[in-house]
Amino acid sequence: MRWCPSFLLFCFLAVVHALSSSGDRLLVVLEDATQKDLYSTFWGDLEARGYSLSFESPKNEKLSLFQHGEKAYDHVLILPPKSKGFGPSLNPKNILDFLNKDGNIILALSGKSTTPSAISSLLIELDLHLPTDRSSVVVDHFNYDTLSASDNHDVLLLQRPGPLRPDTKAFFGGEGILALPRAAPQTLGNNNPLLAPILRAPATAYSHNPKEEAFNAEDVGATGSQLAIVSSMQARNSARFTVLGSVESLEDKWFSATVKGLNDKKTQTANREFAKQLTSWTFKETGVLKVGKIEHHLADEPENLNPTIYRVKNETTFNIEISEYNQDKFVPFEVPSEDAVQLEFTMLSPFHRLTLTPSRRTENSTIYSTSFTVPDQHGIFSFRVNYKRPFFTNIEEKHEVTIRHFAHDEYPRSWRISGGWVWIAGLWSVIGGFLAFVVMWLYSEPSQPAVSKVKKAQ
Amino acid sequence: MKFWNTALNLFLLGSAALESSAETTWGYTDATVSVQTKGAGVGAGLKEQIPDNKPLSKPISLGSSDSLKLTLTSQEGRTTKRAHQVFLLLTDPATGLDISYPFNVKDNGKSRLDLTQKDLPIQFLSLPEPVDARLLIGGFGNSRAYNNVAFRLSIDRSPDEPVPTAEVLRYGKLPEIHHIFKSDPTSPPVMITLAFVGMVLAALPLLAGVWLFLGANLNHLPTALKSAPVPHAVFLGSLISIEGVFFLYYTSWNLFQLLPAVAVAGTVAFISGSRALGEVQGRRLAGLR
Repeated sequence: MRWCPSFLLFCFLAVVHALSSSGDRLLVVLEDATQKDLYSTFWGDLEARGYSLSFESPKNEKLSLFQHGEKAYDHVLILPPKSKGFGPSLNPKNILDFLNKDGNIILALSGKSTTPSAISSLLIELDLHLPTDRSSVVVDHFNYDTLSASDNHDVLLLQRPGPLRPDTKAFFGGEGILALPRAAPQTLGNNNPLLAPILRAPATAYSHNPKEEAFNAEDVGATGSQLAIVSSMQARNSARFTVLGSVESLEDKWFSATVKGLNDKKTQTANREFAKQLTSWTFKETGVLKVGKIEHHLADEPENLNPTIYRVKNETTFNIEISEYNQDKFVPFEVPSEDAVQLEFTMLSPFHRLTLTPSRRTENSTIYSTSFTVPDQHGIFSFRVNYKRPFFTNIEEKHEVTIRHFAHDEYPRSWRISGGWVWIAGLWSVIGGFLAFVVMWLYSEPSQPAVSKVKKAQ
Repeated sequence: MKFWNTALNLFLLGSAALESSAETTWGYTDATVSVQTKGAGVGAGLKEQIPDNKPLSKPISLGSSDSLKLTLTSQEGRTTKRAHQVFLLLTDPATGLDISYPFNVKDNGKSRLDLTQKDLPIQFLSLPEPVDARLLIGGFGNSRAYNNVAFRLSIDRSPDEPVPTAEVLRYGKLPEIHHIFKSDPTSPPVMITLAFVGMVLAALPLLAGVWLFLGANLNHLPTALKSAPVPHAVFLGSLISIEGVFFLYYTSWNLFQLLPAVAVAGTVAFISGSRALGEVQGRRLAGLR
């Protein structure tokens, strides 16, 4: 029994340190070990949040994202390589396999050097596109840092991004100015709904290859806010992949740099806070949803939970408990304004699609519920909650129930139907007439003419 | 010492140069915008000079078969110079849409741009209000870049042509669906029902009246009760109770309650009925009926 307290203490420490909801093993792929010191504040912040960092060079032949068929790390941070590529252990297939096994990846790019074609083909798999020359940077003559890039205009100064759409949560918002030196732009394809831009270039920006002197109108692919500087993809298994266009923005130098826009005063960059938001989102410290209890019952029989069969036109209540992981604990999930968690009651296609409203909050979850009348169609239905939103992990719940017809004794009785009274009256008048006829036949004395007729016949 | 002096001089010169160049701004001159409708003759379209740094007061309309031509000469300060960025930026302040089109820039700063509705993203085609057309002129170095509204562009479509829509999947809230129930069966107005009920029930008194008119009577009842009181009473009672059992079956009983009760009442009716009918036969043989 001696080991018990220390074991408990160990467990407690493990819980305290495991900040991310999906593990703390972080692989940093860094080719040039001397560059490690450039990012020391960033590494320090990650370690302080509980990650155990392992630095590996992509040239290390023993490096593998997998061990015994399982992923060897929970998260990977890939810094841009000096050489032409990453080698066999980090080829696009391995990286996609890692994503498929729920691993999270931050891929940092830099406009300083040409992006390897392996990276470019990996991004094309995800419908993210780099400029064809792979060495363009985003230039903006209106939003650049006048202190460090007065000539080249390639250090962008941007506000922290607000919500992507009115119905999404702003995970990356806040006060302050971001400095993004020499950012490699990406454009997002139209065919992948899993993509979401995190930080877009301003409308006046464009991409430009600094090695080319002249600027040809024909070369322009995308401009303005179609260029994404930081973009993300959340796979169907909720694994997260973030592309950061400017690796330099993570350097110590830019974490605490003083910058000055064209018309602004000198300010400190908010890069450090943004890097924290970016890593904590990608490594699943934020925006992770968990479904707790799912309960459905007849509206007037709350004690009989989750029956397997309902009747058509029953009044039914459905409850789902959702919590959101925020940095180190689960908190009640609040739907962004203008968004809604929706319940579908489906057989092949939804018969009902209803907004679930928060009905109760516990310490770390919100219970969303709604009541509705079961459709007048019998069959195998299911309660479905399919909540897929940018930046939130997916919720996909499906609970089957049988919907039966009215039983023979559940219909209204015939005397309640006023249209049936005529038939009921007809029936009972026949019965009454029959009884009267029996009495009449038994006890009636024949009238005289009839008797004489009978006698004549005899 | 001399070296430092020259260095200082150079520095001052340099900073002076920097300051003076910081004041120069990018701009343009000789900007014209023209809209040519396809099929119309040369010179038939609209052509307007854009004054420097001032937007045109009237919006320029771009129809579906029109092509818009924009020419300008970029300037840094007062001297014409090739700018690195000469863009036409279309923005819609209401929706936040933006798209820019780079000009074809020559070395002497002369730039030109052709634009038709086909070049526009389809999101722009359905905007109700004219969009702002801004000119962006900028380059590297210290000169201030130019960004101002040159004119307002109204994208006109003939109302017969449908506006193309882009169907792309984006995860978000879907429209609510409420199942439409089949309407409940309805009954005719109660008054009509009651009228028909009255007609049906009127059949009984009508029947009684016809019987009385034909001379129906109960004259044999005392005779029958005198000669065979028990069979008659039991027979009629069992008939009524069979109907009563049917009534109970209609209101509350089930078949398994009904069957034994009807079996008992039926047996009683059979036995007592044969006696009662024997008495009736006796009356017939006696010539009473």
